[in-house]
Amino acid sequence: MNIMQAIKMSAKSIFSNKARSALTMLGIIIGLASVIILVSYAQGQNKAMNDYYASMGDNKIEVRASVWNSSVNVSEELYNYCLQMDDLVVGVTPNGQIWDELTIKFGAKTLAQNRGNWGGGGGAIIMGGSSNDDGGGGGAPQEETYPTISLANDKFGMVNNYQVASGRELSYLEVEKYAQVCVLGAKTAEDLFGFANPIDQTITINGLPFRVVGVYESKAGGSVNTAEPNTQEYYMFEEMLGLDRLIVLPHTMTRLFMENRPIEEFVVKAKSSEAVTEMITLLNGFLTNIIGDPNSGMSNGHFSVYSPNSWQEDENAAAEMQQRFLGGIAAISLLVGGIGIMNIMLVTVTERTREIGIRKAIGAERRSIIAQFLIEAAMICGIGGIFGIIAGYIGTLIVGKLSFDIILIPSASITLGAAAISVVLGIIFGLYPAIKASGLQPVVALRAD
Amino acid sequence: MLIDIKDIYKIYNEGLESEVRALNGVNLSIDNGEFVAIIGASGSGKSTLMNILGCLDIATYGDYILNGVDVAEHSDRQLAHTRNKEIGFIFQGYNLIPALTAYENVELPLIYQGLSPRQREAQVMDALARVDMEDRYGHRPAEMSGGQQQRVAIARAIATRPPIIMADEPTGALDSKTGKQVLDILHALNDEGSTIILITHDTNIAATATRIVRISDGLIVQDGTREELGL
Repeated sequence: MNIMQAIKMSAKSIFSNKARSALTMLGIIIGLASVIILVSYAQGQNKAMNDYYASMGDNKIEVRASVWNSSVNVSEELYNYCLQMDDLVVGVTPNGQIWDELTIKFGAKTLAQNRGNWGGGGGAIIMGGSSNDDGGGGGAPQEETYPTISLANDKFGMVNNYQVASGRELSYLEVEKYAQVCVLGAKTAEDLFGFANPIDQTITINGLPFRVVGVYESKAGGSVNTAEPNTQEYYMFEEMLGLDRLIVLPHTMTRLFMENRPIEEFVVKAKSSEAVTEMITLLNGFLTNIIGDPNSGMSNGHFSVYSPNSWQEDENAAAEMQQRFLGGIAAISLLVGGIGIMNIMLVTVTERTREIGIRKAIGAERRSIIAQFLIEAAMICGIGGIFGIIAGYIGTLIVGKLSFDIILIPSASITLGAAAISVVLGIIFGLYPAIKASGLQPVVALRAD
Repeated sequence: MLIDIKDIYKIYNEGLESEVRALNGVNLSIDNGEFVAIIGASGSGKSTLMNILGCLDIATYGDYILNGVDVAEHSDRQLAHTRNKEIGFIFQGYNLIPALTAYENVELPLIYQGLSPRQREAQVMDALARVDMEDRYGHRPAEMSGGQQQRVAIARAIATRPPIIMADEPTGALDSKTGKQVLDILHALNDEGSTIILITHDTNIAATATRIVRISDGLIVQDGTREELGL
């Protein structure tokens, strides 16, 4: 009997025993699809978290330093030090924030902090003719539009992972030459300008004119929160939207808004998470040098160096544990699928053993029988495997859309690994009766029941 | 001599308390073209003998010379060839593969023989015509009566045109009318030169054979013509 005959015979056997073939395939499909979906879900969650940290700005080191006399210009010293460390550091920017109450205007639109309404800052309202807001005062929820005002340099966007959507960043010269220019976050630009182009328009902050030179891309990916309220996605979006409420001014504007007090907050962006660890040590040493040991009583001020990476690492560790947990569940479902396959195969062993007895009695060689069963199992498992992968991909896409609102694609290694395991299981259990029965005397196999 | 067995023993659980001697030293020679009926009570060892003759089982001790060759020296592969080409076996329980049609069941031994589809088709339809089943070639076993299934099983046994046909109680599950049909087919095959070995417990059927062998307790107790046995 040649190989074509064996293939034809296997195909005939598969189609003549539709229920058995379908149930075996089902075992593989369910086992495989659930593994792919579960592991992809865990990976998707991890990715969503890492994307979130990346959008906040990854590998950032936050430095706070204040000195009690102006003998040391921390800003300049830090800037120069980071320039020397260019094998570890991508960029550094001051990150001064103005907490005073400011009024931001463009034409008839005004953004102002509305402390009275919210009793604690952060709240704001839109006033002005074209706004449909009810103007506050009533208990109605207010749209929180007041932006963060950051005093920074030309590296602000790069350090904090903002991409320029139109226009450009601040320039070095504008910072040095006290130019009254600004870059807007996406939400603030929309609040002030609607759909009009803000570039080269002039807004006023407490009556002082500032020319808009650039607008950042939205980190939230839009300005309307479509997520179900009170869900994780809802709060995540709100937080990202908060990052789009932003006005970046040259840090030299301290002389206009902060009575020329030096800026005490800086952000250093390192090249990698390893570089973050190294830079934290280096920065601590450097700042001890220029400010003095804060614990010695001889210091000229105080400072702190801190990286959000450290809690990202905690979260990643937690995510990894969750991934292992889901991986365990996935392994169990693969096992259950495998047992399902085994069950079907073993239930039919008696029937198949008789069939093998008949085939032997009429002159089948052992290798013909094994070839037929091997091809049959491989075909069933192969087809089941393909459908399982398709089901897993579709399931993963649906889960990705519903849970993370992203296009989630299962990793190739997981898919292939799980497919290999289930196909091998199927083939082993499919071959089992053939190997067992083809070695028997025909009369023994025929007697099976 | 076509078939020659010498001192054949088939012992189950040898040496144990539960030892059973199904065959206890059987000697038998069968010539080309004979029609031999093996009779005996149930448990006498006649089916065991038939399975050994048909190469479906092996003897514990003794020699089986088939066509001048010692079967004990056959490899698994050679045994498969012997079962395929030399012997057509008809079972009491038909032993058709339920998922396959009559045509496909009859075709199986020809596939294992390695014939081309065209050659197979000619031989399958020939064999089905022999048993008057050519119009039922597309039916599955479950769609046929017992007599029809047994005729398909005979077609399968004769499809490879083997010189020896062995039938283990071929009429055991059939009514007397269909049983007679099956017996007629076997006689017709014998007339054409096939050697027929038939197991039965029915002396009326055995009486149609040219030679009758009676087995009791694993031993041949009588061997002769109908007249010699007094049937």
